[in-house]
Amino acid sequence: MSLLEVDRINTLYGDSHVLFDLSIRVEEGEVVALLGRNGAGKTTTLRSIMGVLAPRSGEIRLDGKPISGLAPSAIARLGVQLVPEERAIFGGLTVEENLRIAALTAPNAWSFERIYAVFPRLKERRKSLGRTLSGGEQQMLSIARALIRDARIILLDEPFEGLAPLIVRDLVNVAAGLAREGRTMIVVEQNVAAALSFATRVYGLNNGHVVFEGSSAELTANPELARDFLGVGV
Amino acid sequence: MPSWPALASQAFNGLALGSLLALVSSGLTIILGTLGVLNFAHGALFAVGAYAAFVMLQYTQSFLLAIAVGCGFMLVLGFLLERLIIRFFYGRPHEDQILVTYGIGIVLVECVRAVFGGNAQRVPTPSWGQGATQLGFLIYPTYRLQLIAIIATLLVGLYLVLYRTSMGLVVRAGIENPGMVGILGINLRRTFLLVFAIGVVAVGLAGMLYAPVVAVTPDMGANFMAQSFVVIVLGGLGSFPGAVVGGLIAGEIVSLTSAFNSSYSEVMLYALMALLLVLRPQGLFGSEGRV
Amino acid sequence: MSIARSGGLRSHTPELAILLTLIAAPVVLPHLGFSIDLLTRVLNWGLIGLGFDILFGLAGLLSFGQAAFYGAGGFVTAYLLVSGTLTSVWLALAAGTISAGAFGLIVGWLAVRRIGIYFTMITLAFGQMAYFIENSPLSHYTGGENGIPGVPVPMLGFGEHAIRVGAGLPMYVLFAVIFFGGYVLARRIVCSPVGAILLAIKENTARVAMLGHNVPAYKLTAFVIAALYAGLAGGLLGSFQSYMPPDAFALETSGQLVVQTIVGGANTLIGPLVGAAVWLWLRDNLQLIPGLSTLWKLVLGIAFIVLVVALRRGICGEIIHWWTERRTLSARQAAEAVTETIEAGRGAMEASSRKQRDTTLPLPSPATADSDIALEACALARHYGGLKAVDGVSFKVRAGTIHAVIGPNGAGKSTLFKMLLDEVSPTSGHVLLFGSQVTGHGVSRTAQFGIAKSNQLNQLFPNLSVRKNLRIAALARCRGPLRIDLLRTADSLVEVEAQIDAIMALLNLARRADTPAHILAYGEKRRLEIGMALATSPKVLLLDEPLAGMSPSERAATCALIRDIARTCTIVIVEHDLDAIFGLAERITVLYEGRLLADGTADEIRSNQQVQDAYLGGLHAHEPA
Repeated sequence: MSLLEVDRINTLYGDSHVLFDLSIRVEEGEVVALLGRNGAGKTTTLRSIMGVLAPRSGEIRLDGKPISGLAPSAIARLGVQLVPEERAIFGGLTVEENLRIAALTAPNAWSFERIYAVFPRLKERRKSLGRTLSGGEQQMLSIARALIRDARIILLDEPFEGLAPLIVRDLVNVAAGLAREGRTMIVVEQNVAAALSFATRVYGLNNGHVVFEGSSAELTANPELARDFLGVGV
Repeated sequence: MPSWPALASQAFNGLALGSLLALVSSGLTIILGTLGVLNFAHGALFAVGAYAAFVMLQYTQSFLLAIAVGCGFMLVLGFLLERLIIRFFYGRPHEDQILVTYGIGIVLVECVRAVFGGNAQRVPTPSWGQGATQLGFLIYPTYRLQLIAIIATLLVGLYLVLYRTSMGLVVRAGIENPGMVGILGINLRRTFLLVFAIGVVAVGLAGMLYAPVVAVTPDMGANFMAQSFVVIVLGGLGSFPGAVVGGLIAGEIVSLTSAFNSSYSEVMLYALMALLLVLRPQGLFGSEGRV
Repeated sequence: MSIARSGGLRSHTPELAILLTLIAAPVVLPHLGFSIDLLTRVLNWGLIGLGFDILFGLAGLLSFGQAAFYGAGGFVTAYLLVSGTLTSVWLALAAGTISAGAFGLIVGWLAVRRIGIYFTMITLAFGQMAYFIENSPLSHYTGGENGIPGVPVPMLGFGEHAIRVGAGLPMYVLFAVIFFGGYVLARRIVCSPVGAILLAIKENTARVAMLGHNVPAYKLTAFVIAALYAGLAGGLLGSFQSYMPPDAFALETSGQLVVQTIVGGANTLIGPLVGAAVWLWLRDNLQLIPGLSTLWKLVLGIAFIVLVVALRRGICGEIIHWWTERRTLSARQAAEAVTETIEAGRGAMEASSRKQRDTTLPLPSPATADSDIALEACALARHYGGLKAVDGVSFKVRAGTIHAVIGPNGAGKSTLFKMLLDEVSPTSGHVLLFGSQVTGHGVSRTAQFGIAKSNQLNQLFPNLSVRKNLRIAALARCRGPLRIDLLRTADSLVEVEAQIDAIMALLNLARRADTPAHILAYGEKRRLEIGMALATSPKVLLLDEPLAGMSPSERAATCALIRDIARTCTIVIVEHDLDAIFGLAERITVLYEGRLLADGTADEIRSNQQVQDAYLGGLHAHEPA
């Protein structure tokens, strides 16, 4: 039994049908990358898993138990944690308050010190309001909120988007470190190289369908494979 | 030009009225900010609070005890309203929320009228608040000074709840981005219930504390509600500091204007609001937010 | 729900029914506990209600300050008469009505800038302000808390032959005649282009603005209409009870109007009248029952809550709904069946038998200077705090071409698009349409200049039919940003109807003309979305992800449609489907992280290494050199 199974879900966004019978599977300790063009349905997949968008049909199971239809708060308490694309930092709360609210309902919350060991920059800024953080710091904080909950599976939506290369490098190192520790993650990313550097397995999405499934190594070795569902039309 | 003592006395009146408005408005504004519901029953709840003090005082003979029991009653009332009606309206349009809370307001006021009749009731000033106090160059009623102190304490308490407790953390985060609060595993519905009840207790308490100063009638809350709307437009929708500062400004405007020409005191308040709408529509402390 | 939909636009049945009811009421209703005076009072409330229903029922603006205008009209009329300034009640009524309208213009100007909760709070606060103004500063004129006693009744005719309109039946007849006139006028307003636009504003305010209508001005129009009705009713009140009471200004009055409207049914015009009948009947008759005398309002309050919770349409609304449902059920079921067929075999039908379609539209595009460059972005930038969503982007769109803007997520395409239309104002830079600047004019003026946009997520008027959706768009081109043609019917403009027909033919939506937009199949909604932009006869059409959510065959059909449209109109397109883009666009602008990465012909872009890198996120780094 996989840790997370997404079983033939159909999700609509407004009246637009985005995911068509989409199925993916994530094992414990695995990092899975969802790749695909804009509008392929990657973000919608993560939002469906988190319960932000309820699938019209199909089922999502965690440890074999269905979670589709539950509220996001209930799904979060089961150990699934979305790090949203827009980061959604609470701007009027300080860094530490952002962490504190994230830890509220987590049974095995990390200590602040353990978080600050991963992101030393956040310790320096712990009294600053969220809205004063730079983009990179916001992204660190957003990931830190998932970590402090000791989430069983972290859903990273475009974690490197709009960040300077140096910061991306730092964040990739953090993500790679988490992957080595065996933390389960699903990552959606435009920056394919960055995603492939720590993902073990890849799903390629196009128009709400899975069009490719394979290991990262396979894709890295044969870039033309990816072009079909990623690239500028060849 | 009024004399300095008269002006100072009006400034104190403004502080008393302003702190009261601050308390009423902060209840209104945290409900609005967190739940997204503009509570049109707020004025009726103010009157219910005043009547609660009136009834409890007859039973207990102690003002403080009456207020304590009255708060418990308002808390229960708040819980009931949220569970039975308000919670079904979180997903409905603002217009529906306004209409249903307005309906609740009618029912509450009419219940009060049915039980106590339409005539004004008097709530005596508590024994410890009798008389007047010498403040250097002016003599001021003791209870009003105490009122200012009590409400200031309550507002500090509310501040501590909002800024020093986990629940306050959730409320402040929920005002910004309720969706993300849910994603972080927190069920906001329970917070909504608490916030609504706290808002109801705040306005009820304002009614209780104000009861000895005015004639208690079923309709006494309507004007307070209209003024507290002005206050939260001034302060910015959903902003607690805005409600406090806006309340004090509103109170001073009403009182100081009446030192010069009493017939314009209320009019000035609304004129100020009109001016602010043109110059700074988001209010003093507001960002556009979710409303 | 709305009268406009239940009958044809020209049907006079409702007027006839109202007329008969008004004639029968004083004969029949007194047996049911309605005195003549009570009926007159109901008509007075019904008259304010006509205006309020246009504001709230039609345009969706919930005002809690109508008492301000009711009182203003009443006190101006009463003062002019009692002070002897005017002797004719009719002239005084006209003056009172106009004063209320002028007051409405001022309050409305401030209030319509804000929406939802804000609007309601502002109107309520101004209502209170009016109350206090009457009460103190103006008490010398208004009598303050005492009001103005001794308001005379109107006279019919002149000199010695004049007839006094006395209390009782004559007064009822006067009120009935005025109400009937008010009703006929209100119904014409509802059926006019202005009424159609107000209803559309309630359905989707943003889209109405994007089509080129001056939304605040239309809202203000509704606000002033409501104030005029309230002012007239207020003026009549003084004459009716020969006393103008100060509580006309009370918050209670505004609240009672809102409750009556909800009980009777909003967006029905007669709802407020029916609601008033219920309210006043309960008040007068429950008071006669021992033990219930003080409870009538409690009963009403509970009934009101139940109505808001469960029966949102109110009494008349439910009846009209039931009636329309019954009449249109089969049509709706047929429409839904068509939708299911289309959804089941998505697009199969449309891909077949395509021929090039005629895209010339009856309504001409706005005149612009002649130039090769249709649209030019000049150093456009938009910063959100520290985030530079778009950072100094310039490009030119040649007239008569299809120009694409592409880029990975977060490249700033949406923000750029919104700036082209002035939906979002740029931090710096500007946009030129055929050489003249559009930036800074706001979205509706830009639409009038000739830029239209179809949105990524459908922005339709879901409860209006396809024809009515398109009509709102075509009216914007034909009538300009604002025209207050209250007496014309919305479907009487020949060019507009021809425009709608041409577009429905082009989009293959003709057989769905009377189907409400929310029943359409997804592909049809997407076409209607484009059609609404097209119905404004734009010079430049912006298409934001027109292919989103479509099946492959629908995509092919839509691409063909876009090519057809491009024969008469310059197109700028944002789309994720790059295969489609390379098939469609002559020139392509590529954005990356808010900046311009490349700009060139499709072939140049296809072979551009930087573009490849941007899209593949450096996957090439792993390739052997």
